[in-house]
Amino acid sequence: MGTTLHILLHIKLAWPSSPILIMAPGEKIKAKIKKNLPVTGPQAPTIKELMRWYCLNTNTHGCRRIVVSRGRLRRLLWVLFTLTAVALIFWQCALLISSFYTVSVSIKVHFQKLDFPAVTICNINPYKYSAVRDLLADLEQETRTALKNLYGFPENKSRKRREAESWTSAWEGTQPKFLKLVPLLAFSQDETSKARDFLTGRKRKVSGSIIHKASDVMHVHESKEVVGFQLCSNDTSKCAVYTFSSGVNAIQEWYKLHYMNIMAQVPLEKKINMSYSAEELLVTCFFDGMSCDARNFTLFHHPMYGNCYTFNNRENETILSTSMGGSEYGLQVILYINEEEYNPFLVSSTGAKVIVHRQDEYPFIEDIGTEIETAMATSIGMHLTESFKLSEPYSQCTEDGSDVPISNIYNAAYSLQICLHSCFQTKMVEKCGCAQYSQPLPPAANYCNYQQHPNWMYCYYQLHQAFVREELGCQSVCREACSFKEWTLTTSLAQWPSEVSEKWLLPVLTWDQGQQIKKKLNKTDLAKLLIFYKDLNQRSIMESPANSIEMLLSNFGGQLGLWMSCSVVCVIEIIEVFFIDSFSIIARRQWHKAKEWWARRHAPPGPQGQDNLGLDIDDDLPTFTSALRLPPAPGTEVPGTPPPRYNTLRLERAFSDQLTDTQMPAES
Amino acid sequence: MHIKKYLLKCLHRLQKGPGYTYKELLVWYCNNTNTHGPKRIICEGPKKKAMWFLITLLFTSLVCWEWGVFIKTYLSWEVSVSLSIGFKTMDFPAVTICNASPFQYSKVKHLLKDLDELMEAVLERILAPEQSYGNASKALNSTIWNYTPLVLIDEQNPHHPVVLDLFGDNHNGSAPGRTCTAQACKVAMRLCSLNGTVCTFRNFTSATRAVTEWYLLQATNIFSQVPNQELVEMGYPAERLILACLFGPEPCSYRNFTSIFHPDYGNCYIFNWGMTEKALPSANPGAEFGLKLILDIGQDDYVPFLTSTAGARLMLHEQRSYPFIKDEGIYAMSGTETSIGVLVDKLERKGEPYSQCTMNGSDVPVRNLYSDYNTTYSIQACIRSCFQDHMIRNCSCGHYLYPLPRGQRYCNNREFPDWAYCYSHLRMSVAQRETCINMCKESCNDTQYKMTISMADWPSEASEDWIFHVLSQERDQSTNITLSRKGIVKLNIYFQEFNYRTIEESAANNIVWLLSNLGGQFGFWMGGSVLCLIEFGEILIDFVWITIIKLVAFAKSLRQRRAQACYAGPPPTVAELVEAHTNFSFEPDVAGPGPDPGTYPDEQTLPIPGTPPPNYDSLRLQPLDVIESDSEGDAV
Repeated sequence: MGTTLHILLHIKLAWPSSPILIMAPGEKIKAKIKKNLPVTGPQAPTIKELMRWYCLNTNTHGCRRIVVSRGRLRRLLWVLFTLTAVALIFWQCALLISSFYTVSVSIKVHFQKLDFPAVTICNINPYKYSAVRDLLADLEQETRTALKNLYGFPENKSRKRREAESWTSAWEGTQPKFLKLVPLLAFSQDETSKARDFLTGRKRKVSGSIIHKASDVMHVHESKEVVGFQLCSNDTSKCAVYTFSSGVNAIQEWYKLHYMNIMAQVPLEKKINMSYSAEELLVTCFFDGMSCDARNFTLFHHPMYGNCYTFNNRENETILSTSMGGSEYGLQVILYINEEEYNPFLVSSTGAKVIVHRQDEYPFIEDIGTEIETAMATSIGMHLTESFKLSEPYSQCTEDGSDVPISNIYNAAYSLQICLHSCFQTKMVEKCGCAQYSQPLPPAANYCNYQQHPNWMYCYYQLHQAFVREELGCQSVCREACSFKEWTLTTSLAQWPSEVSEKWLLPVLTWDQGQQIKKKLNKTDLAKLLIFYKDLNQRSIMESPANSIEMLLSNFGGQLGLWMSCSVVCVIEIIEVFFIDSFSIIARRQWHKAKEWWARRHAPPGPQGQDNLGLDIDDDLPTFTSALRLPPAPGTEVPGTPPPRYNTLRLERAFSDQLTDTQMPAES
Repeated sequence: MHIKKYLLKCLHRLQKGPGYTYKELLVWYCNNTNTHGPKRIICEGPKKKAMWFLITLLFTSLVCWEWGVFIKTYLSWEVSVSLSIGFKTMDFPAVTICNASPFQYSKVKHLLKDLDELMEAVLERILAPEQSYGNASKALNSTIWNYTPLVLIDEQNPHHPVVLDLFGDNHNGSAPGRTCTAQACKVAMRLCSLNGTVCTFRNFTSATRAVTEWYLLQATNIFSQVPNQELVEMGYPAERLILACLFGPEPCSYRNFTSIFHPDYGNCYIFNWGMTEKALPSANPGAEFGLKLILDIGQDDYVPFLTSTAGARLMLHEQRSYPFIKDEGIYAMSGTETSIGVLVDKLERKGEPYSQCTMNGSDVPVRNLYSDYNTTYSIQACIRSCFQDHMIRNCSCGHYLYPLPRGQRYCNNREFPDWAYCYSHLRMSVAQRETCINMCKESCNDTQYKMTISMADWPSEASEDWIFHVLSQERDQSTNITLSRKGIVKLNIYFQEFNYRTIEESAANNIVWLLSNLGGQFGFWMGGSVLCLIEFGEILIDFVWITIIKLVAFAKSLRQRRAQACYAGPPPTVAELVEAHTNFSFEPDVAGPGPDPGTYPDEQTLPIPGTPPPNYDSLRLQPLDVIESDSEGDAV
């Protein structure tokens, strides 16, 4: 043992100096070269050398094989393989990038206390007919006349409108203004250019385009006679005739047009007074085991439905919530629907409309309401589904509508419906100069009526046609909202009150209604409505990005690693070698050439040129020996020559280093 | 000595690393590792070296950070969802059918006689206070209304509301004369506890609601004292309710229905519950292959004050689940045919740790009272059980509408005079509901039956006559028509063209996902793999070894210096010292008879006390392998 240590000691003493001895010349040369060489750049003299060096030393797997393999075919194969791998990497990475903005959907269910939605209830009939009668008397009279002329309808023999008869006689002599303005016409299918006027009963020629309301979608050819009305623009040069397959539709549409005209001139306050009050509409109200009354409802005036009442609106202090499912814990109301006050031409059904919506949402009662029948209990069970979409760049939806170039004329949160209506209304104000009655007023505009805008109806119809045909661009500009709550309703009906309970229930309800109405309530004047959560399971459908930037990078890493065992370091290497180094090599060569050219121009022609030629050849074939041998000879003329030497030196050193390294284990 | 030698050998073997100084080790590592960055640090010039060093450092930190991100994502237990829609043969849902009225009035009349009379008197007093007080009051039976009386609160003077007892005979003179309307007067229920000393009023804005609630409370009180068997007999029997039944082409009858007593709706009948026999499958969409039922709800025999809505109540639910028909049931109207197209909307979730749901309710801290029915867990059952639990704890009796735990009794006025007060407090309590919601977990598998409901008049005018004849004959064996439009209900329940929509959860990120992403990141930035990590670990171990060796050497040198200081004589020559370091035989001479053995208290613990690590280290520096093998060979 002692001897071994001795030996070890000796060797140890011998070794430490040797690295210094070896290193010293290297350092010296390096320092020398550095001093001589002002250009710091690539260490290979030519691009070929550089490539070779790269292929041998890079960490990617293909390149080394190209250099190392023997035989042309094998080398070619390796070149092909490497190129294929590179191509595959590019292709796969392109696929990864192109599918980056995809979403994954998750559906979650929570059982929790749920906010009760806002519930808007409207009577289908907007205004008490007794209150609006004097406004609509002329119109009613003319409608009746038209009905009489066309269908032989017995004038004014309807059930409870005896007082109207006196009006009829009073208006007999006056000039009919509504029919004159927008004449109702009957066409026979064969001769569309001839039409019978309702007012006079005479046939008259109709010019202008005839638009069949129904025939666009469904071909109705069976009826011999079609009814329609003619709308003309101000100068009466342009006219359009709208026809309907049924007189019912034609007359209702015609009536509605005039009705809107008249109501547009009535101030809002008066309209609210003409409609139903909350106390009148709601007989009883019960929510979650607690009594509620008219104070829990907020008024919302809808142009076509009159006074509507919203339960649980945000204007009330807190949003009510339900912590139990079932009809007992929901909203239960009994509505008073007085059929006697119904407008015979405007509405032809009886009942109420109810809509369930978010507190900040505008209730589009005319579009998506659920109708409630009288003498029935309507029980509506709800399920809440919340959806969240990802906005740009995943989809075209909008978070709050601020990035949609349409100003929201509704005092409510953005929705696609609001956007479309706002868009139409804005266009209407732009084109026709006045606003359509059934939508809110944009700033600095007023509703259309024929006193101020005599030809608005023609304009409106034209615009509406264009809107439906998506010519106004509203549909392309408006985008859907990113998040929305949806209540799925399950509606079922039952008879109410039951035969046996009717006897006691109706008098008590009459007492509850109190002095609002003087008469005893009838079964058909009442409707019961129950709205409740079926269960407190809330489904949320959420989109989340399927890919994150980390995922993308790791997928890149997977691809690069799979095909070539490459990494970002390799990419940097490639950039370094292929761009920076090779460009500087080229630049250096150009610089040399320029210098030579300069030198040749100034130096006397002679043997010098041949020297340069030799140099050029040398540049092409930079073997180790030539690189070593050359510099001493033309050292004075070409200052650029040193790099090759330095480079090759370094190159060789790297190899020898590696060689010894790899040989080490072999030796032992 | 042997052990020492062995330990020395082990040490040598273990320590046989690539280098013997930190620098060597690092250089060797950088040169030989497979990760891409470090190699370039070594073989480039100083500027590039710095650059590559920075790049490598940057990439390493990037990799670490992104690994953190991925591990965090993995531990968030996200799920991905797959949705499937289509038609397949499925078990037909269980169909529960009830009548809106729980009992036949003709059979419960004797129980409700007093209450009904009282109710009528109350209504009379509310509607026409002037006339009724004189004649009606004498008939009132005072046994029931002592507990929760109805009162009329006159709010004409808002500061001094006048309370009028609707049952009292002796009113102060002003009250009966005054007419009271809904605007001025409110009907309220007086709820008292502790022998009538603490009272509250439960106000109602409508008299209709007040009298209904009051009647319900009193009826509950009456029915809770009646044994269950009698209640079942008072309800609608299956043969009266279910007139005809057809499942696909197969005829069925009321015998195919399982009877269950529901406190709200009396006798309910469940078709295809799957409790005793296998559930019936349905292999075809369309009304022809569904369940067709004709029911008679017998509207004439309804309890007049208990329910004001007439119709059949029905609900579709899963096999072996309890029907919570009051929450999820729908109405079917008499005199109509109700067609119900069914879509089974199933949600299958993964349990812990992906979501907080429960598979069978065994991990919920609430005792399921509905387990007596052998039904599966549902959150509704849990919440009701929880409520009943609270009720028993607070009011010491169970509510009639919920099942009773063993050894408890239902609430009634006689035994628990305060229960109505207690119950109404508990029912209004938000805290109670929230504790129940927090305690109960939703079940992982949630099935909803989406219904498309449509209605038509049935029977038609033309067919009415013969249909009623046939059905009357079948049920009552009478030639007269015993049925009417007001009672008859037709139901068609069938699968839609697409009868299922299944949403299934699966783990979004599994361990394979995690590993491939970790590998991807490491590979992307540095071209590394798990082997590189092992390499790195090896280097770290070497590092530790070198440190240990250095420390040992340091300790040695320290001790030696101290020992030198202790020498009394002249300092030892260099040759002596060299000898001391190298020669083992030399050492015991010094250590053995040394001046003070106490100065080396840890002598025994050190493996090679005499050999100073520095020389040992440097010895192994360069042609290590050769020497190593030499020394080993020598040792052997």
